[in-house]
Amino acid sequence: MADSPTLHAVIFRIGALNCAAPAGIVREILPRLDATRIPGVGQAVEGLVNVRGTLLTVLDGHVLLQQPRREEDEGAIIVVEVGGRRYGLGVGQVVDFLEVPAHAVAERAELPGIDPRLVKAVGIRDGAHFIVLDIDALVAPIIGS
Amino acid sequence: MDLSKYAGLFLAESREHLSGCNQLLLMWEREPANRDAVGGLFRSIHTIKGMGATMGFTGVAELAHRLESLLDAIRQERVTVESGTFQLLFRAVDALGEAVEEAAAGRERAPDPALVAALDRATGQAGATPAGPAPPPRRRATDTPRARSVQVIIRADAVMRGARAVLAVRRAESLGRVGAVRPPLVQLEREEFDGRLAFRIESAATEDELAAAIRTAGEIEAVRFEEPAPVDGTAGGRRQIRVDLNRLDRLMKQVGELVVARSRLGVLAGQSDDPALAELSDRMSRLVSGIQTEVIAARMTPVGDVFERFPRLVRDLSRDLGKRIRFDVEGEEIELDRSILDEIGDPLLHLIRNAADHGIESPEVRERAGKPPEGRILLAAARERNSVVLRVSDDGRGIDRAAVLARARRDDPARGEAEALSDDALLRVIARPGFSTAQAVSGVSGRGVGVDVAMTRVRQLGGTLEIRSDLGKGTTFLIRVPLTLAIVRALLADAGGERYALPLAYVAETVEFDPRAVTALRSREALVVREQVIPTVHLRDLVASRERPAPSRRPTVILEVGERRTALVVDALVGQQDIVVAPFDAPRGMPPYVGGATILADGAPALVLDAAALR
Repeated sequence: MADSPTLHAVIFRIGALNCAAPAGIVREILPRLDATRIPGVGQAVEGLVNVRGTLLTVLDGHVLLQQPRREEDEGAIIVVEVGGRRYGLGVGQVVDFLEVPAHAVAERAELPGIDPRLVKAVGIRDGAHFIVLDIDALVAPIIGS
Repeated sequence: MDLSKYAGLFLAESREHLSGCNQLLLMWEREPANRDAVGGLFRSIHTIKGMGATMGFTGVAELAHRLESLLDAIRQERVTVESGTFQLLFRAVDALGEAVEEAAAGRERAPDPALVAALDRATGQAGATPAGPAPPPRRRATDTPRARSVQVIIRADAVMRGARAVLAVRRAESLGRVGAVRPPLVQLEREEFDGRLAFRIESAATEDELAAAIRTAGEIEAVRFEEPAPVDGTAGGRRQIRVDLNRLDRLMKQVGELVVARSRLGVLAGQSDDPALAELSDRMSRLVSGIQTEVIAARMTPVGDVFERFPRLVRDLSRDLGKRIRFDVEGEEIELDRSILDEIGDPLLHLIRNAADHGIESPEVRERAGKPPEGRILLAAARERNSVVLRVSDDGRGIDRAAVLARARRDDPARGEAEALSDDALLRVIARPGFSTAQAVSGVSGRGVGVDVAMTRVRQLGGTLEIRSDLGKGTTFLIRVPLTLAIVRALLADAGGERYALPLAYVAETVEFDPRAVTALRSREALVVREQVIPTVHLRDLVASRERPAPSRRPTVILEVGERRTALVVDALVGQQDIVVAPFDAPRGMPPYVGGATILADGAPALVLDAAALR
C-alpha cells in the first residue's frame, strides 16, 4: 500500500463500519436484488442473483463482519473478482468512489469490532476512519475450492 | 513453412479415412471374392500417404506406402488373398492409425520393422521403394528469368487444399520470385478456399520444371501458364466448411442465455400495457427460436459416426470368443447433438460387448437349440418425436428371470414376493452395480456387467434405458436420449415459497401425499404407492425452509433413478418449463442434492435438484 501513490477504492457501509474495497477488484456495483437462497451453505451466503442472464453468488457482508443491518441503508451488491471468480458482496450502502493519497492510508491496524485478519489497511476520509477490507481473506472461508 | 497448424485437420481427415478402411476391410472379409472394397481401400491409404508426406510425417507416409503397395498388388491380382492377409491388413490399418495419432501429437516415429517386413513379404518384394515427395528440381542459374502467370488447380476431392496451395507456392518460390498470389496466402489457409490458385512468377526455369516443382505439393489437377482466370467462389451448390466444435459449444451457450432472456422478455411484455413491446417480444421470440433451431441443427451429427467403430469390435470379439456373429446396423443417418453423441459411445460399447459375450451362444449351442449357427446383433437408431431411440438387440439366449430373481432374493431377503420380474424390475436388478459377478450369474447369462455403467451414463444424458428379454430368443436394450442436452424439460416444485426444478427425466409420476399411506421402511418414513414401499423425502425439511406453514394437501413426486425410487413431498407443483442449466460458482458446503441452477422465465434463479442424490 505504502509504495502506491494513490489508493482507488469503493467506499461502502456495512452496519456501523465504513469499509473500502480496492477498485482494482470491483467489477460492478448493483442495486440490491432478491437472492435465491442456497440451502445448507450457511448464513454468510445470501444466495444466487440473476445479473443479465448470468448467475452470481452473493455473500452477506453483514454476516461476514458480524454487523447489524441498518434500516436506513438501501442495500447494494458490489461485484468483486477473486481468484478469477466473481462474487457479489451484499453491503448496506455504497458511499463513494475515492482516490486517497497513500499517506492517508496506514497499514493494517487493530480496530475494535472487526477481525484484524480481514483488515488490509485503514484510511481516513473526512476525519472518519475507513477499513480497506482484505476481500480475499473475507471470502476465502465461503467460496468453493 | 509451418504446417503444424494443419495437424488437427490431418488427424481428423486421416481418422475418417481409417475408419472407412475398417468398414471396407470388414465388408471384404465377409465376401472375399468381392473386390469392390480394394479400390476404396487403396484410395484412402493413398490419401493418407499424401497427407502424411505433405505434413512431413515420413513414418506415416512410409507405412502407408507399404500398405498401398500390398493393396495395389492385390488389385492387380499379382498377389493372392489368403486367410492371413486380412489379419495383416487389419494390423497394418491399426498401426497406421496409431502412427497418425502419434505424428499429430508431435511424437512421430518409424514404423514397426516387423510389420513393414510382413507387408513387404506379402507384397512379394523384399525392399519396397521408400515413400516421399520427389526433391524439387534445382534452379538453373544460366537462363534469364522471365515473368509468367501461373494457374494451379488442386483436385476437388483433395484434403488439406489450403496446405497444398501454400506448399505449391513455396515450391514455386524455390525456382523464382513469386508475387500477386490470388487468393492471398492468408485466405488459402481458410477452409473456404476452392482450390484455384493464381500467381505471377519471375523465373529462369522452364514451364515443365516449374510445373514439376509445383506438382510435388501433391493432389494437383492442373498447372497452367496463362492469364489467371477470375477466382470464383460461388461455383457449386451446397458448400460445407469444417467448424471447430468448441465454437459451436460457445454458440450454443450463448443461445441458451438468449432463450432465458427471451422468457424474461415475454414475462415483462405480459406485464406491460404497451402493444409495441408485446409485438417486439413476439418477434424476438420467433427469431430466438429460429436461431436455436439452426444452432442445434448445426451441432447435429449422424449416429453413424459412433456406430462405425462397432463392426470391428464385434468382429474381433467373435474371433476371441469362438463365436459366429453377424453385426448389422440400421439408421446410421439419424442425427443427434454432438455432445450426446460423444457420450453415447460408451454405453453402446458395454451393451454390444455384453450381447456378444453373454447373449450370443456358441455355434454348437445355437444349433442344439435349433437356431442358425451365426448369431445376430443389431444396432439400430430411430427418431421418436424429440428423442432418438438406440436399440441393441441380439438373438441369443435371453435372460433367465427366475435365476435373476433368486439371486436378487438372496441379496435382499426383504425383497417383495413377486413371482416374476417385469422388464422394469429386471433392469433395476441387473443394473445394480456389481450385480452379476461371474459366480452370481452362472446359469443366468452374465448380463449386468456394464449395464449399471450404461444406465448411469444414459441417465446423465437425461435419457432412459429399457430392456426386453425373452428366454431363448434374445434380449433388446433400448436407449432413449433427448436430441439435445442444451435444454432440459423440468418440473417446478415449491417448498416454503422457494421454487426448485426437477428434470423430468427422473420423474416417474406425481401423486397426492396421503398420510394414511405412510409407513416405515428400515426406521425411515416411507409411502405405500400401489403396493410399493417408497422412502419419502420432505423437500421443505431437506432445504430447511423457514417460510410459511406446510399446506394440508401436498403433491408427491415419485423420482426414479435406476432401481431406486424416492417419494419427494413438496408444497406445490408450479408448472413445467424448458430450462437451461447455468453455471455458477458454488459456495462451500453446497449439499449434494443441488445439481445446478437455472434462471426461470420471471428472471429469478432456481436451484436444480439432483434426483440421484435425493434419498
